This record gives sequence, structure tokens and C-alpha cells, in this order.
Amino acid sequence: MVNIAMHGTPEHLTACHECDLLIEQVANQPGEDVICPRCHARLYYTTPNSIERLLALSVAGLILFIPANIFPILSLRVFGQSQSEIILQSAMSLYEGGLALVALLILLFAVVVPLFQLIALFYISSTLHYRWEGRLLRQAMLSYQHLRGWGMLEIFLLGVLISIIKLKDIADLDIGLGLYSLGALIVVITLSSIFFNPHQIWHEIDLHRKQRYADD
Amino acid sequence: MTDHPSPRRTARNSGYLLCIDCEKLHRISQEGQHCDRCGARLHSRIPNSMNLSWASLLAGILLFLPANLLPIMTFKSFGQGEPSTILGGILHLLEQDMLMIGLVVLIASIVVPVLKIIALTILLCTVQFRLQTNLRQKTMMFRVVEWIGRWSMLDIFVIGILVALVQLGNIAHIEGNSGATAFAIVVLLTMFSAIAFDTRLIWDNGMPEADLPPENTDQKDER
Repeated sequence: MVNIAMHGTPEHLTACHECDLLIEQVANQPGEDVICPRCHARLYYTTPNSIERLLALSVAGLILFIPANIFPILSLRVFGQSQSEIILQSAMSLYEGGLALVALLILLFAVVVPLFQLIALFYISSTLHYRWEGRLLRQAMLSYQHLRGWGMLEIFLLGVLISIIKLKDIADLDIGLGLYSLGALIVVITLSSIFFNPHQIWHEIDLHRKQRYADD
Repeated sequence: MTDHPSPRRTARNSGYLLCIDCEKLHRISQEGQHCDRCGARLHSRIPNSMNLSWASLLAGILLFLPANLLPIMTFKSFGQGEPSTILGGILHLLEQDMLMIGLVVLIASIVVPVLKIIALTILLCTVQFRLQTNLRQKTMMFRVVEWIGRWSMLDIFVIGILVALVQLGNIAHIEGNSGATAFAIVVLLTMFSAIAFDTRLIWDNGMPEADLPPENTDQKDER
């Protein structure tokens, strides 16, 4: 923890986003968290090579997203009949069964939100890394930040495991390539949310914009 | 570092406000304008935070009843089978000696939503009735609630997977029922309630409403 002084000029001030305490910014080393003295929220920290890591992870995630969604997660065999399932079908079957709202939520939380977050992350990291123009940087950042917590692939994976245990006595189950891809995709998404450092990226966006204006 | 609510310098009573989206500090006179860095609308506190949070929470509590009383899915094999509720499904798992998995579903579907509703009620009452005890613990409680609430969607995903997988006509067949919709809305509403809640309101209790006089702000802060 870094000790924080209380007085300073407005340029060096910040406030705690959880309790609104006014705080003088202090320098910090990578790996060192600056913590609010009143509510102990993490105010800011430094992630080394954050942009490059996010770029690599978002590309990996976008690639893994394809097999995770087109190959079957599970296949079930009973009396010679077989039924396999991809993520999208969980939503489709519920929709056909009349539970449209639940189907929509599964579609959003397990397919749309994770894909959209990966695209936003790829856009943010590639724009900042290659110093592209980035007209949509603000929108991409705000969407990613507001969608945090709404992508629920890891919960979906736990649901798959529970379904396997529930069905294993009734029928023969085959684990498909989709499940392995889903596992890898979840690792990539979790790592990217660890390396996503909003305070630092907004600062980089400030610098990015200043450079752009200086070039014009 | 004491916990007692002595008047401290907050951004608000020092004439600043923090952009909630990009954490840039602005003058409080910019309330309602757009942040020059991220474009979000600036507010010292989330507008209508208490109303939105209470409304979502109360609606969630009301829907918690049908979510638990109505059946969430029906398993039919050779024409036989009855609809089961959330609790019925858990008891069925426990009967079959699947203790671990039963516990996981019990925690995700019943324990977490109930604890989340209780925790949000405590937090909202803290702000509503200006309670001033254990503020740091309450902030911590909010962080846990915010993180853990989404895991309640587990049962919904299980239903989706089972319905998609077990479609073997007469032999075996699973369908979803309306309790699942009610339960999904409960999870959704408690998540909205947590998002609408502004943790800074907890710490506003006991804070002077008006700006501190300038000579006061230069006093030495004993910490």
C-alpha cells in the first residue's frame, strides 16, 4: 500500500470512485496498488505492456470464439439416437419452447456480450498500439466498461459440467471439440479482464489524442 | 486511519466531481455536462440512485416468489414425468446422492439470491436512514454482492443446455417452464439494483452538505 498525502494542486488530485474521498495522486511502481485510505478501494495501478497483452489476448479470443460456437459442446446418445448441442442451440430450443425472454438472455450473456467485448478490446488495443485514428475509441471503451460482468461464459461452462453430471446416469455423453475451445476462450477472456486497466488506458487515450492533434 | 465519520475532504465538498466512467476529476460546476475525455454525462452522484435501486430490488423480491413456486422445467420419459421447481430439482439431486452438485445449485440458485437481496436491503437502509456504522465493511459487502450476483444465472444456463440436449421425442424430453423466466428476471433486477446503487452515498452520511469554508480545507488532517 502506498501512503497518500491529502493536499495538493488540482492537477495532481483525484477522487476515490467508491467513497468520493479527495486524494493527491502519488507515483507508483508496477505491481504496486494505490489504495483509498478510507474505504480501501483500489484507486489505480500499473500494468506493464497492458495494450500489447490485450491485443494478443483479443486476437486469440476472436479466433477461439469460432470453434467454441460452431463445434458441438456435448453429444448425447440414447438407443441409437444422438443429439448434439452448440451454445446457440440452448437459446434456440428455449425460444421454440416458448421461453423467449430466457432464450434472449442466454443469447446475450453467452454469445453476444462476449463477442462484442472481444471486438471492442481488439479495436481499443490495436488502435492504441498502431496509433490509428480511432474515431470510436470512447464508444468502444465505454461499451467494454459497461458490459463488464454481463459476459457469463464461465457460468455457462459450470452449467455444462452440471448438465454432464445430471445426465451421465441416463445416457452416454460425448464431450465435443466445442467444450475444449470454450474452456480456452474462458481462460483468454479472464486474463484479458485482469490486464484491462481502465485508469491506464484512459490515460493512454489522452496521450493518443494529444499526439493526433499535434500531427494535424 | 480511523473509521469515525469526521468531516473529511471529499471531491464533492471541495468543489470537484469524478467522472464515473473514466475517473477524470472535473469542477463541480460541470454537473450535467459531458466529460471532455470519455463523453459520458458528469454527475457528482448517480442521479436517482436510491429510487432506481429500491425499485429494482423490491420488484426482484416480489418476483422471487413465483421464481421459487412455479416449475422451472419438466423432464418427460416415455410420457411420464412431472414439472419440478428449483427446490424440487435440488432435493432430487440430493436424493440421488449427488451432494456436491446439489450444494452448488443450492448456493447459486437460493443462497446467493437471498443473501444478495438481504445485503442490498441493508445497504439501501444504511443510506436511507443515515446509519453511520461499519461503513468500510458495508462497502466491502457491496463489492462481494456485485461480483457474486451473476452466478445465480447458473440454473438458467443448465435449463438451456438440458432442453437443447434432451430432445429425443418420446424416449426422453425436457422442456422449460415459466418459473425460469421469473427467476431470470429476479437475477436481472438484482443486478440492475446493484448497478444503480452509488457506493459514495454510504460515505455521504455525516458529511457536511455545504462546501467547507476555504480556511477549513487548509487545516492539518490528523491521520
